[in-house]
Amino acid sequence: MKHILYFTAADHYLYSWAGGRLELQARFPGDDTGVMGFREYLAGRRGALFYAMADIAGEDFHEEQIPYLRGGDREQVVQRRLAQRYRDTRLSAALSLGTVSGERRNERLLLTSFTNTQQLAPWLDALTEAGARLAGVYSVPLLAPALAARLGVKGGRAFVVSANSAGLRQCFVEEGRLRFARLERTVDMVPDAFAAFVRTETGRLAQYLATLRVLPRDGSPVQAIVIAPPGQRGAFERALVSDARLSFITLDAAEAARKVGVKSAPASAGAEQLYLHLAVKSPPREQFARREDRRSYYLWQMQRGLVAAGGLGFAACALVAGASWLDFSGMLGETRQLRAETQVAALQYQRITSAFPVTQTTTDNLRATVIEFGNIARRTAAPREALVYVSQVLNDFPQIELDSLQWRLERPEERATAKPPAGAAPAAAGEVAQVLELSGRVGAMRRSDYRAITAEVQRFAGALRTDPAYRVVRTQLPFDITSEGTLSGDIGTAAETGEAPRFTIALARNVQ
Amino acid sequence: MNFTAKELKALALPLLACVVLLAAGTALIAWTQQQQRAAAGELSAAREQLAQARERLLRIAEEEKEVKEKLEVYLRLRALGILGDERRLEWADSMTRIRTQRELPDLRYRVERQRLISSVASKPSTVDFYASAMKVELALLHEGDLLNFLADLRESGNAYYSVKQCSLSRTGLASAVAGLAPRLRAECEIDLITIIDRAAKA
Repeated sequence: MKHILYFTAADHYLYSWAGGRLELQARFPGDDTGVMGFREYLAGRRGALFYAMADIAGEDFHEEQIPYLRGGDREQVVQRRLAQRYRDTRLSAALSLGTVSGERRNERLLLTSFTNTQQLAPWLDALTEAGARLAGVYSVPLLAPALAARLGVKGGRAFVVSANSAGLRQCFVEEGRLRFARLERTVDMVPDAFAAFVRTETGRLAQYLATLRVLPRDGSPVQAIVIAPPGQRGAFERALVSDARLSFITLDAAEAARKVGVKSAPASAGAEQLYLHLAVKSPPREQFARREDRRSYYLWQMQRGLVAAGGLGFAACALVAGASWLDFSGMLGETRQLRAETQVAALQYQRITSAFPVTQTTTDNLRATVIEFGNIARRTAAPREALVYVSQVLNDFPQIELDSLQWRLERPEERATAKPPAGAAPAAAGEVAQVLELSGRVGAMRRSDYRAITAEVQRFAGALRTDPAYRVVRTQLPFDITSEGTLSGDIGTAAETGEAPRFTIALARNVQ
Repeated sequence: MNFTAKELKALALPLLACVVLLAAGTALIAWTQQQQRAAAGELSAAREQLAQARERLLRIAEEEKEVKEKLEVYLRLRALGILGDERRLEWADSMTRIRTQRELPDLRYRVERQRLISSVASKPSTVDFYASAMKVELALLHEGDLLNFLADLRESGNAYYSVKQCSLSRTGLASAVAGLAPRLRAECEIDLITIIDRAAKA
């Protein structure tokens, strides 16, 4: 809940604001007893948030120009100009009216303050002493541009006229900026008389502004938005006749409240309810209170800002986490479904395989055992076949006498590491081969008949090639007749001595 | 705006709340993302499992045929004693029996310790192939004795006999001098292969 202290020349009203609903909490006289009562009210309300709204006569408006500056330099110049203009700058403000381009760029300022700030000071001091937070001190004219915008003024010049508890408030707004305002005291009048009074005062203000050349003497009529008190719209419309200078638009108080967003307000409240609501809902950047008077408010804003930043950060994180969680939930659901489908498939598989023959082991082991055993068996061989083959070939060579036979299996990995003997034909890579090495002699021939012996061995080797499955991978003849070898002889010896020359033939056949 | 110590104190709690909220939010993201990664892993595994299960179902007819074929071999391996623990006593019995039956003049053998044969990588871990290397020295009257010995050995079972090498050489004794003395000498290296299937029912 927020509090709004509404100052008038006679009495001061304390309203509470919550969700667009205004309620009158207290009414204090403008003298010292009122301040005391206010202090009593503030007891126990430490930290409460207050807005101050002044609707009093004696508000000064003065237009000035300063060099176009920004930041601290501008602030210094503005404070200096305010100090030059007003004796007490505690409640003063400078409203920017835009820039003017001449020889050098200047900023137009509307300096404003109250001629008697002392009527407000004790109330603001009471707030400070009670530890309440002062959001700002506003005047009704400061909120006039916001009210004009809410009531449909798009731009240009416009008067906003309202019957407040403090009196008849007239504000002149140009291009969304306040240019002038005045408060005229009113007395109880019948609606027709009050409407005529409004017509007269608005005309006078227009005349005054024209004199000051704020309003052009010739030009299109200036819009005047008049908020009629409840039930007096008819009287106002009759009295407020537009002319060449002013174009009146009359709004009923209830209609204006609806446009501004006031949901409820005390019946005794005048049109100030619109300004009070706007002070809370859309406070303007410019206001009268000094920075030090609003210090606790700044601190409160920072506290809220920090918590809000944390909350926003957490909310953003929660949003990201939520998205991740949704994705996670989706994946969990999909995983569950896939597992269920897998289980169904596994059960179906189990049901079908249960009808298989009894294997005494798992299907995987059965498969691995048989396949692997088959691989091993395919890579093995027995020497019988090779020996029988050689035996058959030997039948045609009675002179050949074998001394030894060496049969072995050669695996690719063994062949890769073993150095092949000289004259060996390369075996097919990657295949297991059985190799049979035959060592023997050629009998029944003279040792010196080397041509015949060599021819016989070569014929024997040729015969061993009869079956294409076998290949002669190495032949070592009794006499080395190759250019790389050494040839020796013993010619002329009377009697032949020693053993018959030996030969070696290596046969190979792939196992697979 | 310069802050007094009191004001800084007043800001401490909201600042702490802000930090705690941000930390909690970050932790929340980290946790959910970790859960998300874990779930993604599980989902991927579940997809793979389902694909495998469906593929097995599709191949079930083939598998049934394969099981029937392979079971025959498997049972034969078991009947031959190739599947199961080594039976060294049976091996020794077989050697003695063959020597007696074939009237081999001399038969010496030596079986080395069992070793694991490196096998295909995809085989189940509960099936292992072992080999025990055996060296045999034989005295022979003629070449046929070696072939008969190897055939008898293979028939005796209790292992798969993979002959690695055999050499046959003359002893140098003339038949007329030696009479029935061995004329040939043979040396063989044979792997005695057995299979252990730990999933097999006794």
